Amino acid sequence: MSGNKVPIGPFHPLLEEAEYFELTVDGETVVDIDLEIGWMHRGHEYISEMSTFTQSIYLVERICGICSTSHPLACVHAVEDIDNIEIPERGRYIRTLVGELERIHSHLLWLGLAGHFIGYDTVWMWAWKYREPILQMMEIISGNRNHYGIMRVGGVSRDVELSKIVELHKHLDMVEKKMVMIAKIANDDPVLKKRLKGVGVLTKEDARNYCATGPTSRASGVRGDIRIDDPSDAYDLVDFKEIVLPNGDCYDKLVVRVLEILESIKICRQVLNKLEVIKGSFWNKVENIGVGEGCGRYEAPRGEVFHYIRSDGTNRPIRHKVRAPSYVNIPTYEASCKGISISDALITLAAVDPCYCCTERSMKIKEVNNKKVPNLMDLSRGKTEKLRREING
Amino acid sequence: MDKLNKFIEDMGDKITNKIDKKRRFYFNVKNEDLRDVVDVLWNEIGCRLSTATGMEMEDALEILYHFSDDETGQYYCPRLVIEDKEKPEANSIALIIKGAEWIEREIFDCWGVNFIDHPRMEKLLLLNHPDKLDKTMRMEGAK
Amino acid sequence: MGWYNKRLAKSLWVFHVSGSPCNNCDIEILDLLTPKFDLERLGIKLVGSVRHADVILMTGVVNKKVAPKIKRIYEQAPKPIFVVAVGSCPASAITFKKSWNRVDNIEDVIPIDMYIPGCPPKPEAMIEGVAKLIGVLNG
Repeated sequence: MSGNKVPIGPFHPLLEEAEYFELTVDGETVVDIDLEIGWMHRGHEYISEMSTFTQSIYLVERICGICSTSHPLACVHAVEDIDNIEIPERGRYIRTLVGELERIHSHLLWLGLAGHFIGYDTVWMWAWKYREPILQMMEIISGNRNHYGIMRVGGVSRDVELSKIVELHKHLDMVEKKMVMIAKIANDDPVLKKRLKGVGVLTKEDARNYCATGPTSRASGVRGDIRIDDPSDAYDLVDFKEIVLPNGDCYDKLVVRVLEILESIKICRQVLNKLEVIKGSFWNKVENIGVGEGCGRYEAPRGEVFHYIRSDGTNRPIRHKVRAPSYVNIPTYEASCKGISISDALITLAAVDPCYCCTERSMKIKEVNNKKVPNLMDLSRGKTEKLRREING
Repeated sequence: MDKLNKFIEDMGDKITNKIDKKRRFYFNVKNEDLRDVVDVLWNEIGCRLSTATGMEMEDALEILYHFSDDETGQYYCPRLVIEDKEKPEANSIALIIKGAEWIEREIFDCWGVNFIDHPRMEKLLLLNHPDKLDKTMRMEGAK
Repeated sequence: MGWYNKRLAKSLWVFHVSGSPCNNCDIEILDLLTPKFDLERLGIKLVGSVRHADVILMTGVVNKKVAPKIKRIYEQAPKPIFVVAVGSCPASAITFKKSWNRVDNIEDVIPIDMYIPGCPPKPEAMIEGVAKLIGVLNG
């Protein structure tokens, strides 16, 4: 019974967005995967040519709800790259603070979903509960839980008041305590290790060939972190480590993200301490952008976000190109999904942390008709139960 | 900086129109030399391909590649100018770099550039679109 | 149908459909099930198939490729079904007004009973929308 095709239709109950995979299954093993995208295409690059530079910042925020800071940051870096515009120090620290808080809440979101897929529903509820202090910090800094509208060419649009910094430290304390506990769980739990180690391996060579970025490639041994290689904002003024692990399986991808949350909390504390003492302006207002082209990038929670802007001296870009990290990370499924068992398909697809709305700035749907499709969620959770019973005797 | 200067020396007259900004290096390259230049960037210097941007100017189409050297933070951007706007063609680099497959398919989708020797030259974003659209980013608009 | 609606209002089952969104509204919807807001105490839960649902929650500015599929989902849903559009995108398409790929009028695709505007709407606003829906069902 070879070549049995399992379509995972676009409107699948557990997948947030619409994406269509077709797994070719031989017995219990997946031998091939085919992807089709194209349902979320809203034409961002087309609309951007009709908007001014400042309007483009609001537009790119809405490419994706979770990468809501990464895209505006890369966009302003690209515009500033055209004319080498300098940013005042206080503005740099505020940008770094917002970027790192976004990284924490995005990784916590992924942690919750990964827990839900393998049957650790408590991890789901706790990870999402401890996102709330981070979203409240964002509301104090920018006024909204998501879609902040705080980036501007030359700095940021509002300041962080001194009186709020104590409150921000308290919210961070709440998150840090629980994160240390979750890191211990990831390290000590034997069922989790047995479930995830060796599953969905992406080798170092494949990670390089597909040009993967972010935690996906760092978990396979390929180093590369834009905050260290091409630093901008305040990343060259704070201290942090880059996390690189060698194995490339789902367990390493989990550990990379958990450790990155702890590093981000360290960066946020350093920034808050600096914001108490550094004075000055936070925005270097720019009147005109000259003729030229600029490449801007930023290390988003999923990898490298790249924006390219070409300007002809007017107040609108003539070309604005967006490349999100999931665009290069999603094709790695072809390498990491071969040879896994079907009950591991779900966690392997989720381990790359795909964000389809970023990928195509597009979306797609298809219906599964009368085929008896195996319920992937039940298979995944069933395997965890089986392992738990084996280990506990 | 040494890597950049060595690259400029080695390539000689294969690269023209050089623009050197802080950590960004733009240059023009011809279709025949494209695969050689990409080979040097990918294998000798060890760059990673970020993406490729397609653009339409008054008299030509342009494809701008973006290669990132993760050790130094330097960007190398070869620019390929395609004079023929009716039937644009370019050499595909998908056989050297596997990650270029989707990137070239998107340019085919939105600008109609045919990549020679690409393993799977078909549309990516507009596959199975109900309106049967083609070349949506060209100046004449979507057909 | 009044007595039927009252039974329905005690425990609404919700199916989530994403019509080209940016995912922010979808995450805020999932946030409603987490400990801070906890909508499950009102009997509301997310289901995996539209055939079990009482309410369809739609997000996003619907694009031309997705529109026929959403229509099909609406036809498959057992009636009576209520459609709630979450976010400013279905209400007015905000920044995507000039997009060439978007459907001009969402009501041509499926009829919508309630709009909850906001980008994204705060969880408190969504809870108010749900409370109003339950109030309307209760008569």
